[in-house]
Amino acid sequence: MKQRASLLGGVAAIVATFVVFVIPFLFIILMAFKDRQQSALRDFSWPTGFHLWDNVFEVVKTRNWMMITAFINSSIITVASVSLLVVFAAMVGFILARRKTRWNPLIEFLILAGLMVPPAVVPTIWVLQGLKLFGTLHGMILIEVAYNLPFSIILYRAFIATIPKDMDEAAIIDGARPLDVFFRIILPMLWPVTVTNIVVQSVGIFNDFTNPLYYLPGNANATVQLTLFNFQSQFSTAYNLLFTNILLITIPPLIVFLFFNRQIVAGMTAGAVKG
Amino acid sequence: MTKTRISALLGASVLGMLLTANAVQAQQSGNLQFLIDNGPQSVAVAEAWVAAYTEQNPDVTIDIEVRPGGGEGDNIVKTRLATGAMADVFFYNSGSLFQAINPVQNLLPVTNEPWQAGIQESFKSVVSAGGEVYGTPFAPAMGGGIFYNKPIYEELGLQVPKSWDEFMANNEKIKAAGKVAVIQTYGETWTSQLFVLADFFNVLAAEPDFAERFTANQAKFATSPAALRGFEKLQEVYEGGYLNADFGAATYPDGLRMVATGEGAHYPMLTFGVGAIAETVPDNLQDVGFFAQPGDSADSNGLTTWMPDSIYIAKTTQNPELAKDFVGFIGSPEGCDIRNEAVGATGPYMIEGCELPEDVPPAVADMLPYFQEGGQNAPALEFLSPVKGPALEQITVEVGSGIRPAAEGAALYDEDVRKQAQQLGLEGW
Repeated sequence: MKQRASLLGGVAAIVATFVVFVIPFLFIILMAFKDRQQSALRDFSWPTGFHLWDNVFEVVKTRNWMMITAFINSSIITVASVSLLVVFAAMVGFILARRKTRWNPLIEFLILAGLMVPPAVVPTIWVLQGLKLFGTLHGMILIEVAYNLPFSIILYRAFIATIPKDMDEAAIIDGARPLDVFFRIILPMLWPVTVTNIVVQSVGIFNDFTNPLYYLPGNANATVQLTLFNFQSQFSTAYNLLFTNILLITIPPLIVFLFFNRQIVAGMTAGAVKG
Repeated sequence: MTKTRISALLGASVLGMLLTANAVQAQQSGNLQFLIDNGPQSVAVAEAWVAAYTEQNPDVTIDIEVRPGGGEGDNIVKTRLATGAMADVFFYNSGSLFQAINPVQNLLPVTNEPWQAGIQESFKSVVSAGGEVYGTPFAPAMGGGIFYNKPIYEELGLQVPKSWDEFMANNEKIKAAGKVAVIQTYGETWTSQLFVLADFFNVLAAEPDFAERFTANQAKFATSPAALRGFEKLQEVYEGGYLNADFGAATYPDGLRMVATGEGAHYPMLTFGVGAIAETVPDNLQDVGFFAQPGDSADSNGLTTWMPDSIYIAKTTQNPELAKDFVGFIGSPEGCDIRNEAVGATGPYMIEGCELPEDVPPAVADMLPYFQEGGQNAPALEFLSPVKGPALEQITVEVGSGIRPAAEGAALYDEDVRKQAQQLGLEGW
């Protein structure tokens, strides 16, 4: 009896997953196979002809091979800013958890403020222009780091609090210098929460749309999400090309998930229990 | 031997270069940024202009940059103007949105440039501020009226209506034949305003001073019988049961497809929709005709027109001479020819000497008589008065789907307009 209930629950979960995740993805794939006329109907139907390769070629070569530039730019931005985020957030989290000073409340307030106060576009651009960073990839990377740092710090601090202080002390007695303690003892132990951070932040940054739109003008600076605008406009949209584009830019994160699936799940649950 | 031959060759080629340099004296050089919106038509025509211009001026490079349209596009243009990061040459709306980007402070005036002599005064008036002209037309003029499906008209033996009663009689016959008479697409709310906005020629025919009195808070939509007719017409087509079943959810592309393929007979829209029809359903382009929104009397039948969007030069440009030369190229008859070839003609040009090709789509051909001798047209209200309420599209959706009666909708719109007029600081509000 009990077994049957759990079986039913399992089937219901599979059906729900199918409806929520698989059907929209199937829709994207079907649309990518259609030609412009059929795709304009936007219905869930079988494609009348095989247009996938035409669509893919059209999407990739549009606007002087913008898609290729966009993939390179997005990869650079994502990898660089996630690396910086992990190192900086872990360091700040480590210090906040280990060293209690009277500045801690102020620092924690600033971190929360970073989460809550929405950033204003025009003053940020002025700052970037003053630093000669406006419209450059490294400027964009710094923006992504700044916007996402508070969230990462909070994840790390909660996790570091669960690592016993004896670890640090043992390392120091064995002759480790402060940086050694952090990089060789603490950071490896943070692996589960680091995976969580990498997944959450890289999906967020890879899929970021508004920040590159405002802070990274210029064709040479296009990112993958901005390429969607090549096919979707206020009054006219080429749905077959739009969905082909969506399909193409969904593939890299999908591959990452397939490869790191086990570690992601482990990292998520570890972070969840201890955080 | 070889040496002399080489020097002779060199001499000849130098001479040749001198000659060609003399022939095209006004050669420009440098780099320009050109920011446009991401409509496929804008991209196609901009690429064609840039290709033609850089062919004539090989030392020039022009980078086309694309931004989204709509509210997001407004934000980008304003942000980039405010931070001094605007492209040298850019595309933006004319009329009231143009006034909102602070032209005197941000844009380079082009009042006395040579190409401005060929541009119609009516266009200049919507891209001027503080006594200077800033814009050059990007596209042909548009008309607001009703697209109709020609095969349905032929099949039922209908005539293009000259008055509102004839229009409603046609609708009745189409409905009796089991077809959708009027297409409405409230899935995109802006499309709901057409019956009200495109009726403005008829308002002006009845009350020639409506625009001035409206701006001065003397005339109202709810109290002026002629202006109220626009809302009433919207209500009448709903109450007649002429609308497509999915009018509440259908979108603008749906509407164009339906009128082109004969899923519906009439679709009130701006004529720039011809371009989208040519792209999405090119096989049916010849099936779409166009007529102005009919008024109550068949004697005064005319078209409500919209001014095209415009090209501006940012004041921060590093290369003003080159930017002016490029914009002048776009604003010349040559620029129109390139446009005709790239995206086809969608209406009459605002530039003197520009001609339309022989084989314009029927919907465009139907529109031309209104601009020629003996035809009648009048600009839309938004080009005669700075007052346009932000909630008109929501109100017209309500009236057009039977939620609110026409008179009440018009009164509500008058209230909506009040807020905007007060923000503009107009007299008498």
